[in-house]
Amino acid sequence: MRQHSLPRSGLGTLGHACVRSAASWWGVIHFGAVALVLALSPSTYGRESRAALAWNIYASTWQVLFWFTLLCALISLVLIRIVVVTASSYGLSQYALEMVVRVLVLELIPLGAALFVVLRSGMLTDTGLTASPLHIEHVPRMIAIAFSVATLAAVSSAVALVLAYLVVYGLSPWGLAEYTHMVGRVFDPVVTVTFVLKTVWFSLAVAVIPLASVLQAQPETARESNPVPQGTVRLFLVLVLIEGVSLAVKYI
Amino acid sequence: MQPEFQSQSVPPPPNLEFKVALLLVLMVVLVFGSLAYVMYARGVFESTQRVVLVADDSEGVIVGMDLTFSGFPIGRVQRVELADDGKARIVIEVAREDAKWLRTSSVFTMVRSLVGGTHLHVYSGVLTDPPLPDGAVRTVLIGDATAEIPQLVNTVRALVENLQNMTKSDSSLNMSLDNLQAVTQNLKGPYGALGVLLGSDAHAKKVITTLDQSQAAVIQVNAILGDVRTTLKSVDAVLVEAQAIGANVRVATTDLGALREQVEMNLRKVEHLVDEINRKWPLARDTELKLP
Repeated sequence: MRQHSLPRSGLGTLGHACVRSAASWWGVIHFGAVALVLALSPSTYGRESRAALAWNIYASTWQVLFWFTLLCALISLVLIRIVVVTASSYGLSQYALEMVVRVLVLELIPLGAALFVVLRSGMLTDTGLTASPLHIEHVPRMIAIAFSVATLAAVSSAVALVLAYLVVYGLSPWGLAEYTHMVGRVFDPVVTVTFVLKTVWFSLAVAVIPLASVLQAQPETARESNPVPQGTVRLFLVLVLIEGVSLAVKYI
Repeated sequence: MQPEFQSQSVPPPPNLEFKVALLLVLMVVLVFGSLAYVMYARGVFESTQRVVLVADDSEGVIVGMDLTFSGFPIGRVQRVELADDGKARIVIEVAREDAKWLRTSSVFTMVRSLVGGTHLHVYSGVLTDPPLPDGAVRTVLIGDATAEIPQLVNTVRALVENLQNMTKSDSSLNMSLDNLQAVTQNLKGPYGALGVLLGSDAHAKKVITTLDQSQAAVIQVNAILGDVRTTLKSVDAVLVEAQAIGANVRVATTDLGALREQVEMNLRKVEHLVDEINRKWPLARDTELKLP
């Protein structure tokens, strides 16, 4: 009995860990599904919930929209300038705008918006909440976070599109037709649907996973076992997965 | 700026509802505006007509690529399909307002460049021709920069093989170069180009000896010619004398004629005299006349 106890305990530990991990993921998915149902049900938007929702949207989006857009515009400007100048130096200026739109608008800005909202709200989740069952009071917060990701991504993408036009054509309106044609060529149905779905999934992931992980975990054990919050690790994993899938759908 | 997501203890900011409503409206406008812009950019609101291009090879043609006229995109590839005859059919949608550039005499080309993708162009030389009807099928001309690469590679390979053959140690070029080197060595030798031309130094030596002998012979001939010239001068003098003699003879001959006439006249006189004597001196029967 004693001879078999060591391997059995190792396998048992591994199996236990797998089961626990799977259960944890299932818990996150279940939490997200319940939250989604609650978010879509009219009863969630009662008088008190509306006030909480407005407050959360104000805090998560209104307070950061200008600064995030400004920061994003600056970074976009630098990247657009680098890409356009480099492409022109190689005689490939006709591909510069398309590359800017594909890299900035389709990939970097949604991911940047998601990470920004994670850093701003997700960390707070780990410290600001206690373990409690899913309550209706959490739903406005999740809706606000998801709305924040989508809004920041949409506004910054629009600003980046305008900046790309201004960097290449200046204030002249005569490049508008060509630019519109290029945008139409980039945003074919597959790319557009993938872009929208990716942004939606980013929003959902950022809204659900950190909160679900905090509500699932026992705070004492989580902090003892892992210095990095488990919800953050899971979130980054899911974000990378969504990004990889979207890239695969678009380019493979 | 620490966010207070759940905090209800702090007083709400002024115009909270308005700000949130503004955000919602902004988001809705952005989403629907972007959607409308993308649909407009994709030509969803445009009326189009169809052109079908037939090509032997549709490599590089992708759905969504442009058909350009004078550098302006006027159409977009909607579908690429394989026809029953094994050729590629490229279905292109051209906006109605740009369809005026397509004429029955228009030429469609597909250009594959080394850098960048494949490009579809249309050239309309005679814009007064009838417009191209909807659904027209045209053959596309393919100008492929990369298609010439295999042929070029084959040519280069043959060239390299020839070069290898030429530069091998036993190649004719190498042997020729060796021979040339031997020739130049011979050229630098004592008999130079003469030895190269005659094949060996011995022959060259013979030729040089012959030349020397010929030179001596020429000197001797020169001396003989000098003697001959002197002799000829003497002959010339003799001839001058002979000429003078001849002249004298001619004069003498002229005199001889006169003399002969006188002699003949004298003889006739003598004959006449003899006849007279004979008549007058019958004793003498000797008719023979002896000239003095």
